[in-house]
Amino acid sequence: MIQASSAHRRTWFALAVIASAALAPCAAWAAMTETPVLAEAVNAGTLPPVDQRVPEEPLMVPLEGEGLATGQPGGSIDMLFGRAKDIRMLVVYGYTRLVGYDRSFNIVPDIVSTYGVKEGREFTFKLRKGHKWSDGVPFTSEDFRYFWEDMVLDPVISEDGPPDELLVNGKLPKFEVIDAETVRYTWEEPNPNFLIQLAGAQPLYLYRPAHFLKKFHAKYTDEEKLEELVEKAEARNWRALHFKMDRQYANDLPQMPTLDPWVNTTESPSERYVFKRNPFFHRIDAAGNQLPYADQVVANITNGDLIPAKVGAGESMLQARNLELKNFPVLKSAEERNGYAVNLWRSGRGSQLALFPNLNVKDPVWRQAVRDARFRRALSLGIDRNEVNEVVFFGLGVAANNTVLADSPLFKPEYQTLWADYNIEQANALLDEMGLTERNGEGFRKLPDGRIAEIVVETAGEDTNETDVLVLIRDSWKKIGIKLLTNVSTREVLRSRATSGDLLMSTWTGYENAVPTADYPPFELAPTRDDQQNWPLWGLHTMTNGKGGEAIDDPTVQSLIDDYQAWLRTSDQAERTAIWHHMLKTHADNVYSIGIVSAVPQPVVVSNKLRNVPKEGLYNWDPGAFFGIYRPDTFWIEK
Amino acid sequence: MTEPLPHFVSSKPFDPAATEVFTAAQERYYLASQWQLMWWKFRRHKLAVVSAAILLLSYLSVLFVEVLAPYELSTRQTSHLYAPPQAVHLFHEGRFVGPFVYPFTQKLNMTTLKREYAPDTTRPQPLRFLCLGDAYKFWGAIEGRLHIVCPPEGGTFFLLGTDRLGRDMLSRLIYGARISLTVGLIGIAISFLLGITIGGFAGYYGGLFDNLTQRTIEILKSLPELPLWMALSAALPVNWSPVLVYFGITIILGLLDWPGLARAVRSKLLALREEDYALAARLMGASPGHIIGRHLLPNFMSHLIASATLSIPGMILGETALSFLGLGLRPPITSWGVMLAEAQNIESVVLYPWLLWPMVPVIVVVLAFNFFGDGLRDAADPYH
Amino acid sequence: MLAFLLRRLATMALTLLVISMLVFAIIQLPEGDYLTTYIADLQAQGENVDPKKIEFLRRQYGLDKPVVLQYVYWVAGLVQGDLGYSFEFDKPVSTVVGDRLWLSMILNFATVLFIYMVAFPIGVYSATHKYSLGDYGITFLGFLGIATPNFLLALILLYLANVWFGTSIGGLMAPEYIDQPWSLGKALSVLEHLWVPVVVIGLSGTAGMIRRLRANLLDELQKQYVTTGRAKGLAEGRLLVKYPLRMSLNPFISDIGSLLPQIVSGSVIVSAVMSLPTTGPMLLDSLRSQDMYLAGSFLMFLALLTVVGMFVSDVALALLDPRIRLEGGLKR
Repeated sequence: MIQASSAHRRTWFALAVIASAALAPCAAWAAMTETPVLAEAVNAGTLPPVDQRVPEEPLMVPLEGEGLATGQPGGSIDMLFGRAKDIRMLVVYGYTRLVGYDRSFNIVPDIVSTYGVKEGREFTFKLRKGHKWSDGVPFTSEDFRYFWEDMVLDPVISEDGPPDELLVNGKLPKFEVIDAETVRYTWEEPNPNFLIQLAGAQPLYLYRPAHFLKKFHAKYTDEEKLEELVEKAEARNWRALHFKMDRQYANDLPQMPTLDPWVNTTESPSERYVFKRNPFFHRIDAAGNQLPYADQVVANITNGDLIPAKVGAGESMLQARNLELKNFPVLKSAEERNGYAVNLWRSGRGSQLALFPNLNVKDPVWRQAVRDARFRRALSLGIDRNEVNEVVFFGLGVAANNTVLADSPLFKPEYQTLWADYNIEQANALLDEMGLTERNGEGFRKLPDGRIAEIVVETAGEDTNETDVLVLIRDSWKKIGIKLLTNVSTREVLRSRATSGDLLMSTWTGYENAVPTADYPPFELAPTRDDQQNWPLWGLHTMTNGKGGEAIDDPTVQSLIDDYQAWLRTSDQAERTAIWHHMLKTHADNVYSIGIVSAVPQPVVVSNKLRNVPKEGLYNWDPGAFFGIYRPDTFWIEK
Repeated sequence: MTEPLPHFVSSKPFDPAATEVFTAAQERYYLASQWQLMWWKFRRHKLAVVSAAILLLSYLSVLFVEVLAPYELSTRQTSHLYAPPQAVHLFHEGRFVGPFVYPFTQKLNMTTLKREYAPDTTRPQPLRFLCLGDAYKFWGAIEGRLHIVCPPEGGTFFLLGTDRLGRDMLSRLIYGARISLTVGLIGIAISFLLGITIGGFAGYYGGLFDNLTQRTIEILKSLPELPLWMALSAALPVNWSPVLVYFGITIILGLLDWPGLARAVRSKLLALREEDYALAARLMGASPGHIIGRHLLPNFMSHLIASATLSIPGMILGETALSFLGLGLRPPITSWGVMLAEAQNIESVVLYPWLLWPMVPVIVVVLAFNFFGDGLRDAADPYH
Repeated sequence: MLAFLLRRLATMALTLLVISMLVFAIIQLPEGDYLTTYIADLQAQGENVDPKKIEFLRRQYGLDKPVVLQYVYWVAGLVQGDLGYSFEFDKPVSTVVGDRLWLSMILNFATVLFIYMVAFPIGVYSATHKYSLGDYGITFLGFLGIATPNFLLALILLYLANVWFGTSIGGLMAPEYIDQPWSLGKALSVLEHLWVPVVVIGLSGTAGMIRRLRANLLDELQKQYVTTGRAKGLAEGRLLVKYPLRMSLNPFISDIGSLLPQIVSGSVIVSAVMSLPTTGPMLLDSLRSQDMYLAGSFLMFLALLTVVGMFVSDVALALLDPRIRLEGGLKR
C-alpha cells in the first residue's frame, strides 16, 4: 500500500526548498483553553479535551496589527445567500487549504505543517501530527492515498480519465506515501500551477475522508451492502453513489467529515443552513483558544434580489455577495438604525465591465474589421470612460483598460491608459484610415459591403449596469459613426453564440485575477479557454490541443500563446516578469478587450458586533477566496 | 243548459296603439336602435363614462407622444441623475410669473453616495409652451421639434424626476404608453378571434370537434401560464429586432388567452342551443353560423365583453410581468413594464420613490378598462 | 351516467399523456440543457469546469440519450410514481417538493379564503345596488388590487412591514424558525409574515371574482322568475339567496378546475419576489436552470390537479344544471 521506503523519511527535508518564510509558526502559544460551548460534551466524555483535539502542532494565527484583536469564542454569524447551492461559499470563506495565501498573497502552509518544492516538479507535503477530521478520525496520508489510488487511478471512478488539473503535458505525477504524515507528488516536468491550484478559492483537493468514502467504494464494501446503499440513495450505480457522497466543495452533505472551520449540519434542500464549529479544527490563537471563534455560521437562503433590502434591514452580519455599489446609498442610510457599517473593499477584477470584440465572428466583413487593431483602438477611444465612471459608479472607479490593477507588482499606468482616453478626433482618423469613410444620412459609417456599421452588443442581462453603460457608449460611438444596438439575452445563449461565431461583441467583467504576481500563470491573457469571449474558437483550439476550434492565424495573438508557453517552461522570476509585461503591453496596445471602468469598490456590510473584519480589503475570487484570506475563523462576536 | 251570457264584441279591428298611448319618451325608447339603447344605458354608468374618456385620451395621446413629451426618449442629462420631481410654481416672491420652475443643481454626497439637489429659488425659469425643443422623428419618419411644453432655455423641466441616467421620467412614461397600450389591443384581437370561432363551433356542434377543443383547452389551461410564457419567449430568436420582439410578445399573450374565452362561449352555447328559439331557427333552415352569430351570440355578448375588457388589462399587466421576469421587452425598449422592472429594487422604494411613477398609469389604465368593460357589459345586456 | 364517467376518465388519461409531451417539449424549448446552465454558472463565478466531470454528469443524468428516450424514461417513471431526480438539488424530486407543498397550501388556502371573503360581499352589494355611490366606491377598492403591478406592491409592502413592524423581509417566517418543529412562536411568526403575500396575491384575484359574481347576479336578477318572486311578495333577501345567487355561482363551480392547482402553486411571480418557501419560486428556478425533471414532474402534478378539477367541475355542473347535456352533440 505504501510504496515509499522509510529511508527517505529523514532525507527529504534536507532536499526540499522551503518555499515560504512565514511557514512554521514558531511563536509559542499559551496553554489551550476549552471552548465554552464544547465544555459540556468534554465533561460528559463524548468529546476529547481541546489539547487532544487540535494537532500536536496546531497552526497559530497571530492576531496582531491594525484592527485585529484576540477574540472570545461563541456566537453566531448570520449571512445571506441567493441560492441553496451558494453554501459552497462557506468552503471558500472558511479557506482551509493544504497551502493558502496570506494577506500579502504569499503562499504559506495551512493544513500542512511544511511543504517543499524541488525543481518546480517535486512537491512534498508534511501533515500535522494528530490532525483530525471533524468527526475525530485522524487525518493522515491514507486520505491522500485513497484519493490517488482509489479515485484518480480507479478504472470505474475515473472512467473518463484522471482530472485535467492533475496533468502536465498529459501526464500524471508519481505519487508516494512517505509515512503517515508525509506525501509526495513528482511530475516529469515542472508544474507551476500546482500550488496555485491547491491555494485556490475552489481548490484542487488531493485528499478525501477515506474512512467515510470507503463505505461507498466497491473495493472496500461488499457488493450486497453497496447495492443496498445505491438503491436507498436512488443512485444509478456505486460510482454515482460515490460521486454523490463526495461533496467536499459542494458542502451540502452533513454526514461527510471535513477539515473546514464550520461543519454543515443541515440536510438539503433547506432555506436555512446551520454550520457548527468543527471541534477538531487545526488553527488556534495566541491566547490558546481553538478557532473558529464563532460557534456557528448561519446561511439563510433568500431571493438574491431581496438581499440588499434584507441587509439594509440588518439581517446579515457579514455580507458582500449580491451587493453592488449601487446599493451603497440605501445600505448607508440604515447604517445607524440597524447597527452595521458599510465598508468599501477593492475589487480584484481587471475591469468591472469590458466589451469583447469577437475575433472569431463568422461574418467575414466584420471579422476583417474587428481583427484590425485600428478598429478596436478607435472603439476604445470613442468611449467616454470618465462619464461612465461618474454616472454609473459615483466616480469611485478608475477609468481604465482591462488590465492588472495597482495592487499588482506588474502594474504600470500605461497599461491602463493606452488607447483609453476619450478622443473622438483620433478615433475618427483611425476609422477613416481603415477606409470606412462612407457614411449614411444619419452619419453612420458604412462597411466595405455597404451595410451600416451597426454593432450588436450582447449582454447576459444580469445587471442593469450593463445596459446603462451601453446607453452611454451608444451616444459617444454615434460621434465616431458607429451604431450600437444592445441585445439582452442570457449567459448560456451568450456563450453558445460566442462559440458559434454568431456574436460580434459582448460584455462581461474583465480579468478574474487582476492582482497577479509574475508567478501567477498568465492564461487569461492568451487564448487558452473557450469561455474567452474575444477569441472563443482560438481558446478552444488550445484547450483541446488542436482538436476543436480554429487554428490561430493572427501573428500577434500567436505571440501571446507563445509567451504563455514560454512562461510555463521557465521558473525564472525575471523571465516570467518580462513575459508578463510583454503580454500586458501587447494587450493594451491591441485592445483585445475594451475595458471601461476598473477598481469599482465592493460594499461589504459588517455588523457592529462583528470584530476582526478589516475595514479595507481586496474582495476577489481567486486569489483571495473573497473573505477567505482574511480568515473568517478569526472574526468574533462582541457580546 | 243555460243560454250563454250576452256580451259585446266590437266589430272594429283591434288597434293596440289606441289603448296604449305612448309618451314621446317611451316612443323614442321603443323605436331606438340597439346601439342607441346601449349608449343610453352606458351613460348611466358614470364611472364607465369617465373611464371611456380616460381611455380615449390615453389612446389619442399614443398617436402624438413625440409632441406631448417634453424631452426626446433618448435625451439624458448626466448633470441630473436621480433628480427628484421638479415642482411647477406660479408665483415668485409673491408676484405672478406664470408657470415656472426653479433650477436645481446636483451634488454627490461622498459619504452617503446620494445625489443631493438644492433648488436655486432666486432664479425662476418660466416654462415654454408650443415651443421648439428636442429634435425627434415623428413615428420614426417625420422630423420635427415642436413640443407642447419645453424646458426653460438653459434649464430643466423634470415634472416626475429623472432616472439613473438622467432621463426624464415623464417623457419615458409617455413614450412607454405607445408600447404598453397597444400590446393589449393586438393581443385581445387575436385571442377574441380564436376564442369565439373555436368556442362557438365547439359549443354548437358538440361531438368530436367539441371533444377536441375541450381537450385542447383543458391541456392549455392545465399548464400554468409561466412555463408557457418562458418557453414561448425563449423560442423568440435572440437576434430579433425590438419591433419583432414586440409583436412576438403580443402574439404570445394572445395565443395564451383564448382558451378562457372559448370555454365560456362553449358552455353558454351548450345551454342556449337547447332553447326553443334556437330550435325554431334551425327548423326554419338557418345555417349554424347564422344561428350562432345572429341568435345565440347576442345572448351572451355581455359575458364576452366582460371577458374581453378584463383581458386587455390582463395583457397590459402580462407585459409588465414578462418584463419583470426578463422575458418580455427589455431595455433599451421603453415600456411601462420595462420601467416597472427597473424600479423593482429597494433603492427605488427607499430613496427614489418617483421611479415608482409607472405604477400610476398602469393602475389608471387597468382600472379604466375594467370600469369601461363593466359599463359596456351592462349596456349590452339584452334584458333590461 | 356511469358510461359518461368512464369515457370522461379515459379522455382524462389521454389528455394527461398529451400534456406530458407538451410539458417535456416546453422544457426542452430553450437552448441547451441543465448542464449548459450549470457550466455557464460555474464559469460566471470563476470556478473551473472539468470537461470529464461534465461528461460523467451528462451520462449520469441521461442527458446523452435522445430526447425521445429521455421522455419515455420520464413518463415510465411517472406512471410508477417516480417523479425523477432534481439535478440542481441532487435529490429526488419528491424530496425537493415535499416540504414546500405544505407551506404553499397554507398560503394559497389563506389567499383563496381572503379572495372569497372580500369578493362576495362586494359582488353582491354592487349587483344589488347598481350605479349607487356605494357601488362605485366599493368596486373601485375591490378592483384596485388587479390594477396594481403586484410584484412591485409586494416589495413596497415588505419594506414597510419591516420598517413599521420589524417583520423580517421575505420568507414565510423569521429565519430562526426555519426547519424547526412547529411551535406557538413559529405559528405566530408565520402569521406575521403571511399577511403580505395573502393581501398582495389575494387583491389581484378579488377583482375577477367581484366582476363575475356581479355580472352573473345581474343576469339572474333580471330574469322573470325573480320578478315573479318579487310580485308574490318574497322578501328581498330571501329572493336573492334562494335562486339568483345560487345560479350565479355556476361559473365558480367551473372554476374549481383552476382552483385546485392554484392552491398548490398560486402566483409564482409574487412568491418569487417575496422569496417564499413555496413551490412557486422553486418552479421558476427549475425552469430557469432547466432542471427538467423537477420542472416537468411538478408541472405534471399541477396538470393532474387541473384535469381532476375540471372533471369534478364538469360533473358538478351537470348535477347543478341538467340542461348541460352530458352526451354532447346535437341530435337531429
